[in-house]
Amino acid sequence: MEHNVLTYMIFIPLAGAVVVLLLPSQSYHLIRWVSAAVTVPPLLMASWLYANFDTTTVGFQFVQKAAWIPAYNIQYFVGVDGVSISMVLLTALLSFLCIFASFGIDKAVKGYFALFLLLDAGMMGVFCALDFFLFYIFWEVMLLPMYFLIGIWGGPRREYAAIKFFLYTLFGSVLMLLAILALYFNTNPHTFDMTVMMAQAKNYSTQSLPFWPFNELRWGFQHVVWMAMFIGFAIKIPAFPFHTWLPDAHVEAPTAISVILAGVLLKMGTYGILRINYPMLPVATADMAYWLLGALGAWNIIYGALCAMAQTDLKKLVAYSSVSHMGYVMLGMASFTTQGINGAVLQMFNHGTITAMLFLLVGVIYDRAHHRNIEGFGGLAAVMPVYTGITALAFFASMGLPGLSGFISEVLVLLGVWQKYPGLAILGATGVILTAGYLLWTVQRVYLGPTNEKYKTIPEIDGREIFTLVPLGAIVILVGVYPSVVLDLLRTSLDNLNQIIIPHLPS
Amino acid sequence: MVPLDYYLILSAIIFAIGVVGVLIRRNLIIVLMSIELMLNAVNLTFIAFANSLGSMDGQVIVFFVMAVAAAEAVIGLAIVISVFRHRQSLDPQEMQLLKW
Amino acid sequence: MDASLIPLLPGAQVLLTALVVMLLDLFIDEHERGLLAWISLLGLALCGAEAILLWGSSEGTFGDTLLLDNFALFFTQIFIAVAALTVLSSMRYVRETGIHEGEFYSLILFATTGMIVMAAANDLMVFFLGLETMSVAVYVLTGMWRSSARSSEAAMKYFLMGAFATGFLLYGIALIYGATGSTNLNQISAYLLEPQGQWPPYLFVGGLLLLVGFGFKVGAVPFHFWIPDVYEGAPTPVTGFMAVAVKAAAFAAWARILMHELSPLDSDWALPLRVLAIATMTIGNLLAISQPSVKRMLAYSSIAHAGYLLIGIVAGEEWGSTSLLFYLATYAPATFGAFAVITLLTEQDKPKEDYGHFAGLGFKRPFVAMAMSLFMLSLAGFPPLAGFTGKFHIFRSAIIAGHTDLAIIGVLNSLLSVIYYLRVIVMMYMNEGGVKGKSFIESPYLYTAVGLAAAATIYLGVLPMRTLEWSRSAFSSLF
Repeated sequence: MEHNVLTYMIFIPLAGAVVVLLLPSQSYHLIRWVSAAVTVPPLLMASWLYANFDTTTVGFQFVQKAAWIPAYNIQYFVGVDGVSISMVLLTALLSFLCIFASFGIDKAVKGYFALFLLLDAGMMGVFCALDFFLFYIFWEVMLLPMYFLIGIWGGPRREYAAIKFFLYTLFGSVLMLLAILALYFNTNPHTFDMTVMMAQAKNYSTQSLPFWPFNELRWGFQHVVWMAMFIGFAIKIPAFPFHTWLPDAHVEAPTAISVILAGVLLKMGTYGILRINYPMLPVATADMAYWLLGALGAWNIIYGALCAMAQTDLKKLVAYSSVSHMGYVMLGMASFTTQGINGAVLQMFNHGTITAMLFLLVGVIYDRAHHRNIEGFGGLAAVMPVYTGITALAFFASMGLPGLSGFISEVLVLLGVWQKYPGLAILGATGVILTAGYLLWTVQRVYLGPTNEKYKTIPEIDGREIFTLVPLGAIVILVGVYPSVVLDLLRTSLDNLNQIIIPHLPS
Repeated sequence: MVPLDYYLILSAIIFAIGVVGVLIRRNLIIVLMSIELMLNAVNLTFIAFANSLGSMDGQVIVFFVMAVAAAEAVIGLAIVISVFRHRQSLDPQEMQLLKW
Repeated sequence: MDASLIPLLPGAQVLLTALVVMLLDLFIDEHERGLLAWISLLGLALCGAEAILLWGSSEGTFGDTLLLDNFALFFTQIFIAVAALTVLSSMRYVRETGIHEGEFYSLILFATTGMIVMAAANDLMVFFLGLETMSVAVYVLTGMWRSSARSSEAAMKYFLMGAFATGFLLYGIALIYGATGSTNLNQISAYLLEPQGQWPPYLFVGGLLLLVGFGFKVGAVPFHFWIPDVYEGAPTPVTGFMAVAVKAAAFAAWARILMHELSPLDSDWALPLRVLAIATMTIGNLLAISQPSVKRMLAYSSIAHAGYLLIGIVAGEEWGSTSLLFYLATYAPATFGAFAVITLLTEQDKPKEDYGHFAGLGFKRPFVAMAMSLFMLSLAGFPPLAGFTGKFHIFRSAIIAGHTDLAIIGVLNSLLSVIYYLRVIVMMYMNEGGVKGKSFIESPYLYTAVGLAAAATIYLGVLPMRTLEWSRSAFSSLF
């Protein structure tokens, strides 16, 4: 089924970026509204995709293919399947909302929105690309605007945070590039076509390398490539010990950029593992999953939650909660059970919406109080009842209250993992308690108790801010009550992924 | 008849003297002369080879090299004058404006 | 004896233009000298058109000492494009710095003639003449800003090192002539292919001396030390010309001589070339990091890029050479553009080339800063810009040729290079202060040059196919 809807979704924001650059730089309103208008068609197309997505087939849908650099078998090749469709929807939605969340930006407005739209195009491209070369290019294209958006419009330590983010990610993508080349040269005929690579997965050698001394542990070509890819993706997730860029980047980034960073960019790590490591390197995946996905994921959950508990900066707290929640994704992926892997991908989607809400809410309070110190507030509930209500919804969703979306995905993950690795499931469940602990404690310190005199007259959340939060809140409740709206999209493709790995699992 | 090797060794020695001169002498004019010495050592090599191979090519080449060497010397001296106007010195060690 | 003059056409066209410019300079009023730049551009455009029309021809002349094939034409196009951009970007510069216009343009054209001869030379002696035509002109260009002490000093250093290297090169040619009995590449190649017992020992010494001479000319470590000084002191448009065209010309000759005609000696070249490539990349990058001046940093970065190009020479064969040509084409616009931006910031006798001078440029002059960011990112090898496609093909060819280690070292090196390229961008967008307002060089032509370079950087990154085809057919014309 040849279709160019995905191409439009990628290139409309790109064209929009060019248009924004051509607008006069002083007409702020025009720039803002043009940018907002540019993100509407991708959102509509995403809804259309959702409506027309065939949930029963395994293969890629809405594909479009064209030769690009035929000499090296490089193509323009895009398409979606169950693994990527939810991410495409999330990207379209968050880009649209974040444009509105960015209306408060007043420094170099034109540059900001142009870069934002470029970032949007890059994110769409990463989730749609089915040619490895194209994937890599979008991956890098996305990195640059992010770097500028943090480095120019960020907080006081923006330069440090931006460079740290850049160097970490670049290190990861260089490893990834080497791994891509290694796969390319081991595919016959040499090609960057991901579908061909998946089909040839069994041709990638698993024989231990000659110099490898441990007989009981396999370490072959697949494992080396797997490791290189994994480090590249783990930096994005971010998995311990590659997570240290995340709190810095989040604290310095402007609100909307934090939302995109946590809501979409972190998902690229786990998405990449599912898209590339799983089907292309199944044997290595089966060998490595327990320690590097499962155990590391469980550790991420506990470690992230403990760090979050120790934070005094509200935004840093949310950042560490992301580290913790992404741990569930890794844990669920490692179980190779239907519940586990579906829960993992659903968790990616849910974390995207919930964490976006959290960052937007932190942004609301920061815009008013100009600080984010948890101890510096108190009793906000009395002054800002609407704001506090929405915040409570987001916090409860984040800690996994039944009836809200976070609950469904975490329970699915833990159920799946329990069947395979009960120990890890118990660790994961401990994380749920810790999460509830730090979130409730925060609610108590910021919103309850006696009202801080300084903030008696703080204005209530305004219409624009509510507009950015309501769709997310609605999704959180909808998925919590009726998870099939998302789960149905994923199931077929994810079961297929499981079937690829399971035969290789060590018994 | 003098064997070819003698010519080659002689020209190698002259070339080496030129190289050492460029590297250690501290007067730009003498450095220029050392470069000329290098080129003339090469000329000697060409002629020796031309003679032993019995081909005229080498001897023709020498004329080319002489013309080029003359052009280089002209440019070199002009540049030396231009440098001298700025700093009243011909010592290459004193050219410190740009880190050497 | 064949005496077709057609293969001479592109070179002669540029030479003729140079002579016209030089003579006209005598009869023209001071304030009308701008005309000379346009005449130069016209001549270069004609030459470019001829090169396009002659594409596909493969004709030798003067006893096969000069060979006009696609290889020569490919490089001719690069030289002409760079020369034209140089003329464009120096139109205002030469007037403001008191450089004599007529001589400046004619010297650029003479140097270009020399380069065209180098790329087409099929005889070591003709190559030598082309090299000297180019070098002598560029020595003078370096020192043309006579009121600047730095310029004269740079010219002095360049001249000494250049002439010194010429000595080695010429000695190498002499020994190869003695060993093989000819300076014609076809005959040398034929001699080397003959199965016979022993090659005379001085053949190898000659080859080694040739290597040293080329090492000097392209600025490979350990023969690189003159590059930063000369690049820093020379008038900036000339630096751009040197960093791109002169380097490309040296690589053109090197590719033709070492990769094709002397290929039977491949196994003897491999090791020294590998060491040279690794040292050049790594040391170039490491030294670039610590430079306080952007112009000097770019000089070291051009050394590092010579290292990547050497990988192409090491890889040899079809892919290595194709990617070498392609890399030169992708390296050209970004490097030239970066120097053009530095030209833009120059103030009267006050070079504005430290990192600090770029601070806040992103807000004061957004389009200049955007172009500079493009050039930096391209040089650092970011997709989808020209530098990435160039690097990709170089490393790919290294892997195909079995030099995986070189490719990995190259990738790590380009990671290292991000540190200093990024510093420029950080300065432009994340710092305040720096140069105020407009410089005295502002001119629409300079902006045109920057814009063209930026457009080429994007074009070669996104749609590399056509240029890649050209470089492939350029390379295959060597056989």
